[in-house]
Amino acid sequence: MTLVRSCGSTLRFIGAYFVANLQAAMEYRVAFGVQILVMLGNDCLWLLFWWSYFQRFPLVNGWQQTDIVVIWAVSALAFGLGMAVCGNVPKMAQIVMTGGLDAYLGMPRNALLHLCIAATDPSAWGDVLFAIGAYLLLLHPGVLNLLIFLGSAVAGALIFISFMVIVGSLAFFLGNTDGLVQQLLNALITFSSYPMNLFTGGVRILLFTVLPAGFISFVPLQMLHHFTWPLLGALFGFTLLILLCAVGIFHLGLKRYESGNLLGMQN
Amino acid sequence: MDILLKERTQARPRGPKTRFRLACSKYLAILRVSAANNLAYILEVIFRALFLIVLIFVIGQLWKTTFAQHGSLLAGFTPNTMVWYLAAAEIIATSLPALTRTIDQEVRSGELAYLLGRPCSYVLYNYSRYLGERLVRLALNAVVAACVALIFVGPPQIGLVGVLAWPVMVFLAITIEFVCYFAIVLLAFWTENTQPFAFTFSRLELVLGGVLIPIEVFPQPLRGVAQILPFSTMLYGPSRILVRFNVGLFGQLLLQQVITLMVAGLILLVLYTLATRRVSINGG
Repeated sequence: MTLVRSCGSTLRFIGAYFVANLQAAMEYRVAFGVQILVMLGNDCLWLLFWWSYFQRFPLVNGWQQTDIVVIWAVSALAFGLGMAVCGNVPKMAQIVMTGGLDAYLGMPRNALLHLCIAATDPSAWGDVLFAIGAYLLLLHPGVLNLLIFLGSAVAGALIFISFMVIVGSLAFFLGNTDGLVQQLLNALITFSSYPMNLFTGGVRILLFTVLPAGFISFVPLQMLHHFTWPLLGALFGFTLLILLCAVGIFHLGLKRYESGNLLGMQN
Repeated sequence: MDILLKERTQARPRGPKTRFRLACSKYLAILRVSAANNLAYILEVIFRALFLIVLIFVIGQLWKTTFAQHGSLLAGFTPNTMVWYLAAAEIIATSLPALTRTIDQEVRSGELAYLLGRPCSYVLYNYSRYLGERLVRLALNAVVAACVALIFVGPPQIGLVGVLAWPVMVFLAITIEFVCYFAIVLLAFWTENTQPFAFTFSRLELVLGGVLIPIEVFPQPLRGVAQILPFSTMLYGPSRILVRFNVGLFGQLLLQQVITLMVAGLILLVLYTLATRRVSINGG
């Protein structure tokens, strides 16, 4: 009963922050709208690249145009959901470095969760709109496929967030890792948006472990082609594992954190 | 008093040659300081270069697979020239500094008013600063990209003329980029935020500039459109000339670069004149 109450309270907390962040972003309506449109246009441009590629080479290693639409849609939705709810995660290394963590440590809520959900990235809504639009308009899925798509995207969002928490926590051990975090995030996004069949051997192992792009786009694509319970189990098992790793590494790093005695207030 | 007067009268008359030489040394000094600043934070530059490895590896892998399935010659490109083309294009694409963010902030914070009062042109000051930063990034990226391409497909099958023509085209390309991004950021005088415009421009440049696919490989009518647009002068032009030099194409691309630079420069000049009229400096 206590667990249910605690879960409910946490969800309400996330929901309240989500609404507050959205209201804050919508304060500048034009800027908010422009950012969404720009991201939508950016994602469409990448589809244009793939369209022009597949016009010349219709089949590559068994991959076709619809497969690219699926991996783009599922990874864009995963990233979009992650950044819409936990838009503060990419700034984690910087926050740790500047002593900005003090503001969260003094609060009664879980510091990691609080840090993650304290901001939203308005452009993430462009990714969400693109993903849902592209998937529905270009692939006309059935109800089951739609459910698999949405479920995979939620798991992908948790993988994205956990990955960023892990690399952001490196700041506790290595100092200024802001640049490294950005590059690793870019690498994860890049690998998630290319056909997995291009990579073999050690690189493929890397893409299912250290840089888990395979779980973000490839496993969902396989499930949408041919759903099996072991695949679903692997996806959710890995999501849980990386989530636990992220929480563990953050708390391990927190022991090394030294307050910056930074005076300020959360805005 | 006499000595002061003498110094002033001596300092005043300067010929155009001396003035030009002094101006050059002033902007070169800014360029040197900017380059030194970037070398001071070399770790950050190296981190950025690391992403270049990922990009060349991923896109190179895509083209290697494509060549394996669709023949060893695509629109005149071999697997070797294609990977070296991608490396050359990525060297330029990933070396762009955060120019728009810096100037956008200067306009918004009002710091611009103080910079305008300095004894140098605000545009040329930023151009020198930009060149200093860009050259450091270009040099490091070139080393990293060349190593990756060497490991991936072996030594390049490129001629000496292409290697000699490449720096000229790269210099013009990065100058065009500066003019375009500077014109975009001047919109900060009229709009809330210029970052979305700069972001859109950069994405158009990546896709239509031929960084992932050489423009010859685009299907029609996209190929025709991409060839006319200015984006091809920034990434496709220099990279294509490096890996597959052709005198006719070199002349054509060079002319396209000069025309693009002149048109973009004119737009920048108009925007800059209009923008500086909106600056009001209050004492204090």
